[in-house]
Amino acid sequence: MYALLLAALAVLLSGVAPRLMARLGSFRRAPRAALVAWQAVSLAGVLAALLAAPAAVPALGEVGWLACVGDCTMTLAWFRAQRWIVVALAGAVTLAVLGRLLLSGHRIGTRLRAARARHRDLVDVLGAPAGEGREDGIRVLDHTTPTAYCLPGRRSRVVLTEGALAALPDDELAAVLAHERAHLRGRHDLLLEWFTVLHHSVPEPVRSPAALREVRLLVEALADRAAVRTSGPVTTARALMTLAQGQAPEAGLGAGGDGTTATRMRLLAEDALPAPTVVVMYVYAVAVVALPLVLLWLAWR
Amino acid sequence: MPPTSPAPRLGDLERSVMEQLWDSTTTRPEGSSVREVLEGLPGERDLAYTTVMTVLDRLSKKGLVTRERDGRAWRYLPAGTRESLTAETMRASLGDVTDRRAALLHFLDGATSEELDDLRAALSEVEQRRG
Repeated sequence: MYALLLAALAVLLSGVAPRLMARLGSFRRAPRAALVAWQAVSLAGVLAALLAAPAAVPALGEVGWLACVGDCTMTLAWFRAQRWIVVALAGAVTLAVLGRLLLSGHRIGTRLRAARARHRDLVDVLGAPAGEGREDGIRVLDHTTPTAYCLPGRRSRVVLTEGALAALPDDELAAVLAHERAHLRGRHDLLLEWFTVLHHSVPEPVRSPAALREVRLLVEALADRAAVRTSGPVTTARALMTLAQGQAPEAGLGAGGDGTTATRMRLLAEDALPAPTVVVMYVYAVAVVALPLVLLWLAWR
Repeated sequence: MPPTSPAPRLGDLERSVMEQLWDSTTTRPEGSSVREVLEGLPGERDLAYTTVMTVLDRLSKKGLVTRERDGRAWRYLPAGTRESLTAETMRASLGDVTDRRAALLHFLDGATSEELDDLRAALSEVEQRRG
């Protein structure tokens, strides 16, 4: 019974809840709390999927009732004695779920790290030499297309192009750097990696690309807040405009983008959510993680 | 990290050695030996032969230089011109290969010409409400 509830919960939390949460536009006005809620939902979904089989163990111990004809005590006793079969089956199901998750994590993690290592090697030799008043960890590429990004990881880098330095006035550049440093400091890459791994481990019909897009937008909105703290909302919005104008003619390079820039810009004009709403979001996060654990406890009680 | 720690210094050296190799591809199209790279490096650096050898070895492991045997020594060539490697870097950062893009965190996730009008409208909203 509880096993079925947990299985249903796993589908609900990995398929239905993300679709609903992706539509909650107001979540974007409290990106930190929203990301905590998203992480809670994803973690609870994984827990529910892992715990469904173990929760079935106590109930399956009694399946002898279904198999007995006439004298039930013998059959029941036999099934109880062979309990290890049920435990082994439950373990196998849990391991299969866990294995899928780990495999997907390994594949995506290896690919990401290889791409980052290659990219870091390139920008380290191509980046303009140090000692021009630039601090460590910033690399400038000799290219006219204005762009700015960071390479996360233990040896992180912030990469700018000459085009970006030429296009951005000092105050807008400060906003861009604050945004990228917020990504690096908060290890937003790990957050995105976790959601990407989950996205790929969930069966195709359940997974929701809209959810992944929403999480990406929230991560950007969170980093934008750091930029706003340093440079204010108007300068941050202008920096987005400056780089968008510089990149648009380069669409030939394949820079399509996901069309969230205007949304991000409008968020800069919005007020943050009131504190009580944010508290409700955190309570929701805690409750959602507790749910599968409570169900398992009820099953084993 | 303080500038005296060894790691960034090695990075600086790798960059200088690459510069040196790029600059000498016209004069030595067959590649440079460790000795030639050492002699071409800026004079104020008092570098050991083995240091330059280590740096070249690291660069070749990273796939940034190629090497060929020449008698008992190696001759080193850059794996691409500065322009072609810059182009590769830009493709990885701006290209639509989602895998490689996901490895980086961009300030702006691309923009199309059609998007610009909407962005201008959004900017003036921000300026009106927050300016």
